[in-house]
Amino acid sequence: MRLEKCWFCSSTVYPGHGIQFVRNDAKIFRFCRSKCHKNFKMKRNPRKVKWTKAYRRVHGKDMTQHYYIYMLFQDSTFEFERKRNRPERYDRNLAESVLKAIPKIDKIRVSREEAHHKNRMKGKKQKLQMEAVRELKQGISLVKAPSVLQKDPSLTLPKVKVGVSRQQSEDNHPMEE
Amino acid sequence: MATRLQFENCCEVGVFSKLTNAYCLVAIGGSENFYSSFEAELADVIPVIKTSISGIRTVGRLCVGNKNGLLLPHTTTDQELQHLRNSLPDQVLVQRIDERLTALGNCIACNDHVALTHIDLDKETEDMIADVLKVEVFRQTIASNIIVGSYCTFSNRGGLVHPHTSIEELEELSTLLDVPLVAGTVNRGSELLAAGMTVNDWIAFCGSDTTATELSVIESIFKLREVQPGVTMHEMRKSLFDSFL
Repeated sequence: MRLEKCWFCSSTVYPGHGIQFVRNDAKIFRFCRSKCHKNFKMKRNPRKVKWTKAYRRVHGKDMTQHYYIYMLFQDSTFEFERKRNRPERYDRNLAESVLKAIPKIDKIRVSREEAHHKNRMKGKKQKLQMEAVRELKQGISLVKAPSVLQKDPSLTLPKVKVGVSRQQSEDNHPMEE
Repeated sequence: MATRLQFENCCEVGVFSKLTNAYCLVAIGGSENFYSSFEAELADVIPVIKTSISGIRTVGRLCVGNKNGLLLPHTTTDQELQHLRNSLPDQVLVQRIDERLTALGNCIACNDHVALTHIDLDKETEDMIADVLKVEVFRQTIASNIIVGSYCTFSNRGGLVHPHTSIEELEELSTLLDVPLVAGTVNRGSELLAAGMTVNDWIAFCGSDTTATELSVIESIFKLREVQPGVTMHEMRKSLFDSFL
């Protein structure tokens, strides 16, 4: 049993799921669900379909596996999952150390992915701030009349004083007795 | 010395087993008869390994190997690959190759020095064969059949080819492979020699349908017959007389 990757979206195909298509040139295509299979039949290129891992890797949204010339990010944690064609003799110590290492590698990969995402989202806060300032400048006339703006040119919402009536109640005299 | 046997009532012994000078792969059958026949002859000499390849029992036709290595199709599961690696001696290199033609036993016929391959085999596969099995690779047809792995079988000492091979082709192949060849059949006239029998340098296994004539041809061409002193003297005497004359 081997957990394969879906050809279209690159998610893992677990046993009992999906469809395998074998083309006439003996190339095998594995799909995780009918969504991917139907997209394949429509001859869509996964590198152009936004929700696939292939698109995200090509467009730099996610950490890449391979060394791209224009994308200088290479990650070695993916090297561990590569399919190997020349096996080694079973060694109990090696197997033990590999099993211990697997969760560590996962942790490292996840933290690298988070760092990549954080790096990508850097400067988002400033960008949002600038956009908010611009919007306020443009649309201040919707909340503050131009005449008031001339008197008080700050871009804050105007302070309006609302009088609250306080009724002196005359009904509580029995208490004072 | 040739032995006759059956795999679950089927005479195609070469389909369900792979015999080389360094190891023997045997299919997993319901009863242990097939495995015990091999074990009886070979147990002390070479490892006899029960296996399947990608869950299929026709191991003889799916893989190819000699004493230097073993090549497996890409459909082989990781567990089978690991099992073979653990069971085989360290000098034997186990390699899984990505090749469109997955029935490697049908496409490639080899001994320890030379290999004949299917014409449509990939270039990378050819390089891999030369690298892993340490053989010289020739792309050939046999009697205009491209699946050379089925229609001929040869060891380091002799070879058997398809019965309809012409004499010129026989001589050409013989010079290419450096072994004496003869055209013959197995299992009462079956042309699929590699499927019907399996052979290495000192022993051969044939289907139980093989006639005595076919068996004697096999024993003579693969030089399996035990040499008796009387026979050698007789042969030597004939050659001595020839040289005098």
